[in-house]
Amino acid sequence: MIKAVNLCKTFGKIKAVDNVNLEINQGEVICIIGPSGSGKSTLIRCLHGLETPESGELYIDDKKIDFSKNNSKELSKIGFVFQSFNLFPHKTVLENLTLGPIKAFGVSQKDAEETGRKLLARVGLADKENSYPSQLSGGQKQRVAIARALCQNPEAILFDEPTSALDPEMIGEVLNVMKELADEGMTLAVVTHEMGFAKKVATRVIFVDSGKIVEEGTPDQIFENPQSPRLKEFLSQIIHM
Amino acid sequence: MNAIERILTPENLKFMLLGAKYSLLIAIFALIGGSVLGLLAAVAKMSKIKPARIIANIYVEVIRGTPMMLQILVLYLCGPVITKALFNFVFTPNPVLVGIIAIAINSGAYSSELFRSAIQSVDKGQWEAAQTIGLSYTQTMKEIIIPQAFKRILPPYINEFIVLIKDSSLLANIGAVELLHSAQVIGAKFYNYLVPLLCATVMYLVVTLFISFCARKLERRLAESD
Ligand SMILES: Nc1ncnc2c1ncn2[C@@H]1O[C@H](COP(=O)(O)OP(=O)(O)OP(=O)(O)O)[C@@H](O)[C@H]1O
Ligand SMILES: [Mg+2]
Repeated sequence: MIKAVNLCKTFGKIKAVDNVNLEINQGEVICIIGPSGSGKSTLIRCLHGLETPESGELYIDDKKIDFSKNNSKELSKIGFVFQSFNLFPHKTVLENLTLGPIKAFGVSQKDAEETGRKLLARVGLADKENSYPSQLSGGQKQRVAIARALCQNPEAILFDEPTSALDPEMIGEVLNVMKELADEGMTLAVVTHEMGFAKKVATRVIFVDSGKIVEEGTPDQIFENPQSPRLKEFLSQIIHM
Repeated sequence: MNAIERILTPENLKFMLLGAKYSLLIAIFALIGGSVLGLLAAVAKMSKIKPARIIANIYVEVIRGTPMMLQILVLYLCGPVITKALFNFVFTPNPVLVGIIAIAINSGAYSSELFRSAIQSVDKGQWEAAQTIGLSYTQTMKEIIIPQAFKRILPPYINEFIVLIKDSSLLANIGAVELLHSAQVIGAKFYNYLVPLLCATVMYLVVTLFISFCARKLERRLAESD
């Protein structure tokens, strides 16, 4: 569904993504883990064209993405959820959801609102449609952001540390929504520090260090039987999971 | 005392108020025209297209680097010559109309910086979120960025309005109907400039102080809603 071939992205001298090959297939739940600054965000952002790689190729549904052009049609098949939510503060919750479908895809306002309400109910926020983002808690904001991503009826959703900006007591509600999505068969790729979530929900775990995929496998393989010294060291440091 | 009664007749006061009304109208239309030009220049300055950036920069530098009176005179005195040379079309310039255009061009150069910094102060994440839901550049600008930038721009923008009300007095030099011009006309008629100029001073102050009072109120209101 999403395929990256020899992807490279550097910032000055830093190789944030260093020759990465990655294929995300339908129904997979991929968790990307790794130390801070290892390039996880840059990698997942490259998969949605939020960063333009210097070299390498990106395919969405076997269609090659040409980064010199506008790819909004292909890329909007993929949803994206940010660490800092990035809701539109001057729009209501429902407007945040319906803006994309109405403006980008020409869905009628009535249909968009109907879908929007359904999705808000799905993330447990049916009563918040007329609120503004500033009136919501962090966990609620992130659930709205997930509903917004769902509005474009995506084939997959990418997450960049969706719970890192949240107070601990709100992490659970967001992870639960994500787990439900996974259980319904949605394809997910999640950069996360929540090892418990990775263990329980992931079908595949990818360990990234210094811009490279160092090791990948099932949660069992990665967490119970790590091979590379760097992964072992990383896991020993986050034993408190 | 005598002079005041003699000069500030209801008729002359009405004439001055008409001038004041024109000053306000000139400032309002120049502000609108200047906003359009300023917004275009701001977008061009931030554009990926190099010629657009160059043109916008030349526009801003030329206008900011030359006196406004010169710009008004160029447009007023040379406008017909230029259109004759280019399109073989001669017109008698209307001082008010030419004045509005000249002030709008001038204001656009200054407000382009205002627009640019306000647009750039909107969080980068807003652009990214808009991109991920499929919005185009223009849609993102219109739906997401400009509404948020607008709030930041409002207080300095009202200040720009006050500047334009004062700038409109330059048009007295090309004979446009406006407040300072009215004062000068009356002054010439009665061989007394003190009274009409003082009267104009009061009228300018009433308008500008009132506007800056509103601006401060609005600013406080906006600060609260953040
Ligand atoms: N816009 C940028 N400009 C310059 N350097 C950047 C930029 N974005 C990322 N980097 C650098 O690229 C490297 C990878 O960053 P990235 O944010 O992808 O790491 P990460 O794994 O997501 O880290 P974290 O867990 O802290 O979020 C880091 O060294 C970072 O400093
Ligand atoms: Mg990151």
